[in-house]
Amino acid sequence: MTGLALLLSLAYLGLAFWAPGALSNLFGLVALGAAAFLRLSPQARTLSLALLTLAFTLGLWRSGNTLGLIGLVGILVALTTLPRIPNWIRALLGLAILLVSVPLAGFANTFIFELGIQIGIYAAMALGLNVVVGMAGLLDLGYAAFFAVGAYTWAIFGSPQAQNFMQGNFPLPGEYMYLFMGIAIVTTAITGLLIGLPAVRLRGDYLAIVTLGLGEVVRILANNLDHPINFTNGPQGITPVGRPPIDWFRDLTSALGIPLDRTTDYQLFFYFLVLLMIGLVVLVNLNLANSRFGRAWTAIREDEVAARSMGIPLLPTKLIAFMTGAAFSGAMGVIFAAQRTFVSPESFTLLASITILAMVILGGMGSIPGAILGAAALSILNLDVLKTFSEFVRTSLPQIPSQVDPAKYERLVLGIILVLMMIYRPTGLIPEKRHRAEMEEEA
Amino acid sequence: MLEQILVLLPQVIFDGFVLGFVYAMVALGYTMVYGVLELINFAHAEVFMIGAVVGVEVFRYLGPHIGNGFLLLLVALLLAGAISGMTAILVERFAYRPLRKRGTTNRLVPLVTAIGVSFILQDLVRLIEGLWHNEFFLRMRTVEDLEGSFDLFGGAIFVQAKSLILIGVSILMLLGLTYLVNRTKLGVAIRAVAQDLHTASLMGIDPDRIISRTFLIGGSLGGVAGVLFALQYTVITPYVGFLPGVKAFTAAVLGGIGNIPGAMLGGLVLGQLENFFGTYLPILTDGNFGTEYKDVVAFLLLVFILLVRPQGLLGQVVREKV
Amino acid sequence: MKALEVQNATKRFGGLVAVSDVSLEVNQGEIFSVIGPNGAGKTTLFNLLTGIYAPDQGRILLFGKDITGFTPDRVAKEGVGRTFQNIRLFGAMTALENLLVGMHIHIRVPYFHALFRTPLARREERRAKEEAEKLLDYVGLLHRKDELARNLPYGEQRRLEIARALALKPRLLLLDEPAAGMNPRETEELQAFIGRLRDELGITIVLIEHDMRLVMRISDRIAVLEYGAKIAEGTPEEVRKNPRVIEAYLGKGAAGGAA
Repeated sequence: MTGLALLLSLAYLGLAFWAPGALSNLFGLVALGAAAFLRLSPQARTLSLALLTLAFTLGLWRSGNTLGLIGLVGILVALTTLPRIPNWIRALLGLAILLVSVPLAGFANTFIFELGIQIGIYAAMALGLNVVVGMAGLLDLGYAAFFAVGAYTWAIFGSPQAQNFMQGNFPLPGEYMYLFMGIAIVTTAITGLLIGLPAVRLRGDYLAIVTLGLGEVVRILANNLDHPINFTNGPQGITPVGRPPIDWFRDLTSALGIPLDRTTDYQLFFYFLVLLMIGLVVLVNLNLANSRFGRAWTAIREDEVAARSMGIPLLPTKLIAFMTGAAFSGAMGVIFAAQRTFVSPESFTLLASITILAMVILGGMGSIPGAILGAAALSILNLDVLKTFSEFVRTSLPQIPSQVDPAKYERLVLGIILVLMMIYRPTGLIPEKRHRAEMEEEA
Repeated sequence: MLEQILVLLPQVIFDGFVLGFVYAMVALGYTMVYGVLELINFAHAEVFMIGAVVGVEVFRYLGPHIGNGFLLLLVALLLAGAISGMTAILVERFAYRPLRKRGTTNRLVPLVTAIGVSFILQDLVRLIEGLWHNEFFLRMRTVEDLEGSFDLFGGAIFVQAKSLILIGVSILMLLGLTYLVNRTKLGVAIRAVAQDLHTASLMGIDPDRIISRTFLIGGSLGGVAGVLFALQYTVITPYVGFLPGVKAFTAAVLGGIGNIPGAMLGGLVLGQLENFFGTYLPILTDGNFGTEYKDVVAFLLLVFILLVRPQGLLGQVVREKV
Repeated sequence: MKALEVQNATKRFGGLVAVSDVSLEVNQGEIFSVIGPNGAGKTTLFNLLTGIYAPDQGRILLFGKDITGFTPDRVAKEGVGRTFQNIRLFGAMTALENLLVGMHIHIRVPYFHALFRTPLARREERRAKEEAEKLLDYVGLLHRKDELARNLPYGEQRRLEIARALALKPRLLLLDEPAAGMNPRETEELQAFIGRLRDELGITIVLIEHDMRLVMRISDRIAVLEYGAKIAEGTPEEVRKNPRVIEAYLGKGAAGGAA
């Protein structure tokens, strides 16, 4: 076993060097599977993972093939979940992947930066929704509404848009984005309060459909508040949205000897910014989970009557969960707006809300690594795999009518994932300990 | 402004009924399933959409062969009812029943499954229509017999024959359902299962069969509603079910979830309210806020009822013993 | 001041009168039992006391304060802890975590402190954990502190539930059938335990119980309910000899020959 795993890893390392590309990456994924699922000693496993990290990085740097990114994500998941790997190794390899491998891959193929940033933003939001659905057990189907509020909060003031209804010097200079992340947290929390106050009183299914409805209301407002006063510029969206100046960042990177050009500079910047945000979000999530709030949410989820008898007030406690989840979304919305320099109501549909929900469910409700894995898996699926498949179909089967373009079938993919997960593995891929216990109890 | 409002009023009320009957028929499917399973069957919106698609295709292919418009419509209604009903049964059998058998009390799981099924059906229909006709927007073929119209009350109300047909068929279906639920053995069984599944099964009623039948009935009604919807509003897409679905559910809640006359009443009331709002909002706000906000009515109404009178207009408060 | 006063409490569910014009008083530091045949309304009475239901008529006074209609969380804040007929522990949480939930009201960590794990938050968590461990030790469950609650044997689950109610630092403790499913030895241990609670912690305790031996040996006073109404109240001796009570338990005509 040990020999096999190590052999595969070494073989892939060789392939990555001499014949990088999609096929060798597939081989690498097989090698990763071996390293993860075969019974190995901790040393062998660690060695294999380290070799694979090197190999995937090499392969990505040389070919830019996105399958390599899947490999890196897989290694990160393995590092988080596999037992008996020394913590310092986990940290070292993990940081190496995030801080070195991915940027290197990005330089080879800038699409990887796009992918990485999208995964990051959605991962942070999945973590936010995790608080609402996973910890407190409130099924929110309108989560994208908070994302929208955050994004528009910056988009309106970081672009000429605000001049349509206010006096002032708009657009505000780019560095205000940081301030607006804080402001967006406030505006989204208030939105969370407004939606939550009626919604949170209701029982599970009614809560779900009310949040769905109110989420749609927010989107309808975004789509139509271009008259009588133009707040949101309607379906056309708002562009260009400002970004913070990054001269300091450019200086830093050139001092470190990293070459950046006009596209990669902002991409690298936003990548690191998003990484930082995820780190903060994870930290805050952990703090809450291990506080009286996290316990109260779990208690409510398990048994409302018993929880109330312990003095836990239902409504305020649920509301706090709701508003916390909303606030995470708000901050990420600002980054989303600034990175793409464009917002429109199209990004905040029901499909977006359900996608984020699917990320949480796929990864594992209540589980922090799970939410991140779910975000990575679905983002890669939607932005990469589906797109590649679509191109493949278009080129090799040109007689297929245009309406059957695989890239348009996100809903189908999402629906299948949701149904399969619910029937076969409702606890998700990386179940949270408590959830696993709950689900097992019912089985 | 008041004069403007009054002049439009008869038409608004009539149109509100047309819309209301569609909502009523779809609402019945939601309310019946919720009654027996306590589940919001999101996929019901897609069953409705499938009915509409069947209607379009029947008119497209059989239209040239069947001279009589009414006969054509009848065929479409029957076929749509059957296909939609079958879809509903399949959904129950393969998506909901495994969860029920697992015995989980967690309410999130069936709900998420329902959403998943809803999405799958939307895109499956899109795929089928894409492969078959490479169309996304499906247009209902116009048939002369059904295109008649006339004015009532000296031009106060413009009435289309289609609308009358819609209302007529709806009333027939609603009467039929009421008879079925109140006067037949199946109806009694459905009501028993809705009240207390476990006890009903102890009385010799097979809950699986009854639940299946319930889905069949609700689905067929949804399918019929779909055809009539396509007839009335002519253009449909695979995603046309979503919004009417949510609104129909709101109507079911408005009337009292699980309550069949309630669903009918709720549908009619919602139809009126939405139409009122959609027509008069632009007038009342001088064009500042237009008809695009009419969808908001249903959502806000849902929140309102659930907060103020969650048992709906005709429902009764159910107390849970701890 | 009485620990608990129930004045003419009535609760109806539709046509069924579950609790009918019940009045009783519990003195501070007393062990008071509520007994009666199944369906007599005992648990409903508890639910009225803890705010799960609001009485249709009547008042409830806790240490002189009117708590009628208070929601369960407010009642808990006033110092009422309870256990449930069918154990309602948080099965997927450890024993320690269950107690920490019970201490929710007493862990004074505001939201933003919890968010950033400030020194205040860390201090309060540490203090709470220490107290919870002490409490676990007191009920003899310290060795189980990291076990999932639902993996504990039945008897220990019952003890844990009581410990969780104690974590609230209650002035009044309501125990709903604490001896259910216990053998005679366990019941004796429970009896000693309840006695300790009253003697060492000064808590007033109200019990619902079916185990007559336990009730007779431990109670200072007893109330008997039948079909929602109180049919007797008094010391164990008085209640035991009350013909109405005998009739309720053994049927008409039994009053003649029972002892």
